Amino acid sequence: MSEDDVRLIPADDSSWRFEAYLRRGGYEAARKAVTSMAPQDVIAEVRRAGLRGRGGAGFPAGLKWSFVPQCGTAPKYLCVNADEGEPGTFKDRAILVRNPHQLLEGMIIAAFGVGIRKAFIYVRGEYARIARRLEEALAEARERGFLGRGIFGSDFDLEVIVHVGAGAYICGEETALLESVEGRRGQPRFKPPFPAVVGLFRSPTVINNVETLANIPSIIGCGADWFTARGLPKDGGTRLFGVSGAVRRPGLYELPMGTPLRTIVETHAGGPPEGVAIKAVVPGGLSAPVLRPDELDVPMDFDSLAKAGSMLGTAGIVVIGDRTPIIEVLKVTARFYAHESCGQCTPCRIGTSWIHKTVTRIGEGQGRLSDLDLILRLAEGMKGRTLCPMGDAAALPIHALVSKFRDELEQAVSR
Amino acid sequence: MVGLKIDGRPVQAPEGTNVLKAAEQAGVSIPHFCYHPAFEAEGNCRMCLVEVEGLPKLELACSTVVREGMTVWTSTPRVLQARKDVLEFLLAEHPLDCPICDKAGECKLQEYYDRHGLFAGRFVEAKEKRDKKAAIGKGLLLDRERCILCTRCVRFLRKVTGTGELGVFERGVRTEIGIYDGVPVDNNYSGNLVDICPVGAITDADFRFKTRAWFLKKGPTVCPGCSRGCAIVVESVSGYPLGEGQRRIFRIKAGENPAVNGHWICDFGRSGRRDIDERRHVRVMKNANPEEELSWQKALADVTARIRAVPGPERAAKIAVVLNSRLTCEELVLAKRVFAESLGLGKIFFADPKPGVADGFLLTEERVPNARGVLQAGFSPRLPDLAMLAASVEVLLVFGLHLLDHFSEEAVFRALAGIPWKFLFSSHAGPLDRLADFVFPVALPAEKSGTYINVDGLRQTFGRAVEPPPGVVSEREILGCLANGLGLNMGEPDAC
Repeated sequence: MSEDDVRLIPADDSSWRFEAYLRRGGYEAARKAVTSMAPQDVIAEVRRAGLRGRGGAGFPAGLKWSFVPQCGTAPKYLCVNADEGEPGTFKDRAILVRNPHQLLEGMIIAAFGVGIRKAFIYVRGEYARIARRLEEALAEARERGFLGRGIFGSDFDLEVIVHVGAGAYICGEETALLESVEGRRGQPRFKPPFPAVVGLFRSPTVINNVETLANIPSIIGCGADWFTARGLPKDGGTRLFGVSGAVRRPGLYELPMGTPLRTIVETHAGGPPEGVAIKAVVPGGLSAPVLRPDELDVPMDFDSLAKAGSMLGTAGIVVIGDRTPIIEVLKVTARFYAHESCGQCTPCRIGTSWIHKTVTRIGEGQGRLSDLDLILRLAEGMKGRTLCPMGDAAALPIHALVSKFRDELEQAVSR
Repeated sequence: MVGLKIDGRPVQAPEGTNVLKAAEQAGVSIPHFCYHPAFEAEGNCRMCLVEVEGLPKLELACSTVVREGMTVWTSTPRVLQARKDVLEFLLAEHPLDCPICDKAGECKLQEYYDRHGLFAGRFVEAKEKRDKKAAIGKGLLLDRERCILCTRCVRFLRKVTGTGELGVFERGVRTEIGIYDGVPVDNNYSGNLVDICPVGAITDADFRFKTRAWFLKKGPTVCPGCSRGCAIVVESVSGYPLGEGQRRIFRIKAGENPAVNGHWICDFGRSGRRDIDERRHVRVMKNANPEEELSWQKALADVTARIRAVPGPERAAKIAVVLNSRLTCEELVLAKRVFAESLGLGKIFFADPKPGVADGFLLTEERVPNARGVLQAGFSPRLPDLAMLAASVEVLLVFGLHLLDHFSEEAVFRALAGIPWKFLFSSHAGPLDRLADFVFPVALPAEKSGTYINVDGLRQTFGRAVEPPPGVVSEREILGCLANGLGLNMGEPDAC
């Protein structure tokens, strides 16, 4: 992969400034869209590019935009999901820190395509300092007339507001995010209606992840074909793979969609350190079911991972070495979801807590063999039965850890 | 109408109906906690999951709208398993203190476990310790261990009263219902929170630990507290006499009437419970002394004799009657025929409770249930002038105690002392008892059947919700008997 293909994260830290972004050819795509394209052509181009949502679910972005009713007098909103809370994930942070103007440019194009005049960037509470940089970037763009009224001399206006959350994982769920922006307790809304029809302040709303929007300028600038050439036809572009855990070179790697997991872990991240063997790999943030060492040849794209029984999710790859007991992984996982469940619906509220209590007991040496089956059953009781995707996000990785590493866990229980 | 199939049965349901309601209409009950017909579906309890053909996941019956040709299955193995799982989750952290819980016997969690659960518990961890009697205002106590977080209470206060005193706090398994910064629940509809709580989480201090739900007989009637005419259910135990401090009426709950009150009643109406039990007359009194042996029929013969003693042409001036607007239409019509048409009395007055303040929702200003019935019976209700009332009157019949709402006790006594024969017909003991030659105990609205016409002109006929004390009858029977005694044929059954 050549230097030119690294689009999302420039190398140096001063790159976030407006002037630096302009020097990289920034805002040209937005200018092109706003001054020379029809909104529906913007959406069509993004659909053709096969850009799938980088927040985790992988929903085609252009399709999502096309669900927003084009008629009607209600205001429409764009919400940028910068509530990067998935454990093992640090890609949006890099974009926000190093390349905020590319996100803004993506937002301008998205807003123009869908007919939106007001956008919110929902930044997780833990990113408070990043939010301040974002404000600075917004001020730069506003000062130069790239945001606000009559952008690029057209009659297109866009106002952007940075909203800092209070630090709850659930607020990364798109409808909980809307509740939080509206000033209420962050908990998911009942769907349908979907946000594209009834979203923020009961108006049609597009909610996109930071990385998703940061991809938009190259799609409009270089075209859908260019974009899909850097990925797969139905899953276009590159992806920011964040690798952490038992590897020599942990970090963020921008690689084409479909790059095999083994290549990312062993070639790019340098494989495990001396004397450590890989025991397991979480491929897409903590919610993605864990893979065993023999399952690492899977191409890292949405469909391939779904076929492999896991998910690409946020592409946060966590490599677990053979010195880490699985019970420890299970403890951390169970504690996280029990702590982050919003408590609204029964299976998630009680299921995550019950599993956490059971796993804690096993960790304290008070486990029973039947506990493992119980954990599996509880996870099954949550799966597909909760109000929002968090039930699955908690149940699936726990189920995978217990079923794939049962032998080790049985030994831990018997000890 | 939309045609669908539920458990193989063809069902017709109006467009927009949810599967849960459509199934109910077809006689298939789908268990649910958080869904309440008065609110939009919330979908948090996950109890009403059903299988919809063609959809991979189980769907919520409360939020899935019926579609033409839809096929729904409510008791497939997958559905039954999902129900069991939800019940097991809910019961895992539940205190299981049914033996001391007021809701036992009418608790949805208990009922559903019995019908859909019956598993052996697998939860061996320590349960969360929570506040078991948080005072949330107006005598309501919240048991956070029993709470299943259906949020019906929160939604009621946000959507029905608009007062929003309750909210959801904390998250995950520590999630709890609570009031904001110590500001308690304070509105005239707080009692409904107890009615809509599907478990024993919100209880009412007035009912707490007093009896078990299964001992109570439920009698539907119309609330007499104001002119709205809300449907209520009076819950009582049978049996007399009552011992000291014993209750017969344990509570009044909201009945359902879409045309009037929906699912709600106000706290003022609910507090009518006390009115039914407390300070009741159960015997005829003569010169302010309870008469063990004297039946109301015998005593009434005295009234008849006094009326008969007044010659026909003089009756208009010498006999006076004070009625009230708590009487049923049937009683008022009878009173009109006896007193106005047959006896030709000129002095027919009304004494009612003074108007209160309307609360903008159900409670009206008029604190009587049948002011429209009074007009329809042909009366022009007016409060008596005491001096006028007393002047030249020889026989006075007073129904109810509400003269005292308008005049001081002293003024009433002074004005009426000179009347030779005074008869009081009243359900409750009061200062006027000492004034009357005879006091006749009468039934309360809940102990009668009859008809009220509400503030909007709606006629509502109701049956007897509770038995009156033995020897106590309604004004309808008394008036019928009086008519008979006076030789007037009113077409009323002969009660004497």
